[in-house]
Amino acid sequence: MSFTNNELKEIEIFVVNLLRDKVGPIIKSETGITSQQYIDKTNAVDLVTKYDKQVEAIIKDTIKDKFGDKFNFIGEEEYIPGKTKISNNPTFILDPIDGTTNFIHGFPYSCCSLGLAIDGHPVVGVVYNPHLNQLFHASRGNGAFLNNQRINATSRRLTLQKSLIGLEAGSERSTEPDSNFNKKMTTYKNLLSEDGGFIHGYRSFGSAAMNICHTAIGVLDAYWEGGCWAWDVCAGWCILEETGGRIVGGNPGEWDVPINGRCYLAIRGGCGKNEQDKFTKDFWDQVDGKLQYSE
Amino acid sequence: MTVDLLSVENFLCELAINKIGPIIKNKSGTQKTYDMKTGSRRVDIVTEIDKQVEKLIWDSLKSKYPNFKFIGEESYVKGVTKITNDPTFIVDPIDGTTNFVHDFPFSCTSMGLTIDKEPVVGVVYNPHLDLLVSASKGNGVRINGESFDYSTKITSMGSLTLNKSVIALQPGSQREGANFQTKMATSENLLAVDGGFVHGFRNLGSSAMSLVYTAIGYLDGYWDGGCYSWDVCAGWCILKETGGIVVGANPGEWEIGVDNRSYLAVRGCSNVGEQIEYIEKFWGCVKGTLNYD
Repeated sequence: MSFTNNELKEIEIFVVNLLRDKVGPIIKSETGITSQQYIDKTNAVDLVTKYDKQVEAIIKDTIKDKFGDKFNFIGEEEYIPGKTKISNNPTFILDPIDGTTNFIHGFPYSCCSLGLAIDGHPVVGVVYNPHLNQLFHASRGNGAFLNNQRINATSRRLTLQKSLIGLEAGSERSTEPDSNFNKKMTTYKNLLSEDGGFIHGYRSFGSAAMNICHTAIGVLDAYWEGGCWAWDVCAGWCILEETGGRIVGGNPGEWDVPINGRCYLAIRGGCGKNEQDKFTKDFWDQVDGKLQYSE
Repeated sequence: MTVDLLSVENFLCELAINKIGPIIKNKSGTQKTYDMKTGSRRVDIVTEIDKQVEKLIWDSLKSKYPNFKFIGEESYVKGVTKITNDPTFIVDPIDGTTNFVHDFPFSCTSMGLTIDKEPVVGVVYNPHLDLLVSASKGNGVRINGESFDYSTKITSMGSLTLNKSVIALQPGSQREGANFQTKMATSENLLAVDGGFVHGFRNLGSSAMSLVYTAIGYLDGYWDGGCYSWDVCAGWCILKETGGIVVGANPGEWEIGVDNRSYLAVRGCSNVGEQIEYIEKFWGCVKGTLNYD
């Protein structure tokens, strides 16, 4: 099944309205709930709330009402590790509340992230943060927008040393010698060290979708992550690509990464492909070993 | 000397909103050239705008409060500038300079007043988020001019415990040596499953914003070293007015001055005992000692 750019734009507008009108108000009014109201998903820091499930149900139902069975649907709350597969069919990929820890703590960086992938590639993406009233949206060939204003990546040089990079610790915190957590911490140290990347700085705001959107608008130069899922990156990926940015793998040499690759490096636009390539290689030089995740 | 603290707060708010905020907002991300404060520290950035904004603030404060002292980031002279007991404005014209250079929306102006070396007025304004948070001793906290009901907020947040908290951490611009190692090892230990195992950490790249976010209940704590009095003075007053506390970053440092250079800020909570326990547990995760001249 193929879609024209106009058809994708219509889907984008549908998703924008859905997130703005039906989802945003819930996320905004329910954030900052007390500690009794969440459950630990895989460990004491991987959290989920009843609102994640509620938002996912609303979105799934609204899509079904509008499109019937035209699209597959994958949502964070219904996903079964090792079982749920992303096919080449047009598939809505949803994170009902990205930045769940932020949502629980009332830190204003939780958002809803809904993307559409075709042939495994994101072609529509909408991310809505109702706390900051920031609505990022894009579809293939139609450009990217922040609150209906076209995002134009300013042209400027991209170098590792002068970059500001999004980094997150994630919820996997085992300190076993070969753990992903240890590799991440060593990589951070390499990136920061005077005798390593010596980057201008890094930022952590606890939301993958917001980090990718921040890269799309160029306030971050890049975002490196291991451990997130297709729903964390699908929408942002489309938005970023429409601004001239790219997503490659988080591990050295992974120039092509699938949407469920779980380990990513997002790079801003506003510079040539050669500069992005050089940045990517310089970044990979600082990565300690290889992060490993299962599907 | 009796000082009407609320009128000082209001004056600083007007100054922040009308004069300083617009400059920060318009110039953010436009500074293609910037100096490095020292040759080796190529990530410690200062821009021409920092200097201009500081002068603007200084001139405004001098004409309104001619008898007050003034300490600003850009005019500070190491080893010479001292905080006395006199009423002293302590100002960071643009806190979060790296954010400012990169147009990351967490640069702000931070203006405080100390009397007897205690922060008694604090105003922080982030023009990107249009967030103005202000306080003065005994007068509570205001967000964009509206009184902030911190006790309701604190009650809604439930108990304060280390392994259920979100804390702000920053590596700073010093990227070698013992302090850097201590910071990295401590951050790792706070996160690790067999260490503090906190819910998460955030790095905003602005001390003033980290303190403000702790005061208004977005964060539970903020641990840092290498900052100066102007980074913390305003936020300290705001935090204290919400029942929060600032102690030293190193274990046992219960009493510190605004120029301590390393800090642990903890939000207010309904039960003061929880705060003390939180601080002691946090200190238990510190690996090494932070030391600054």
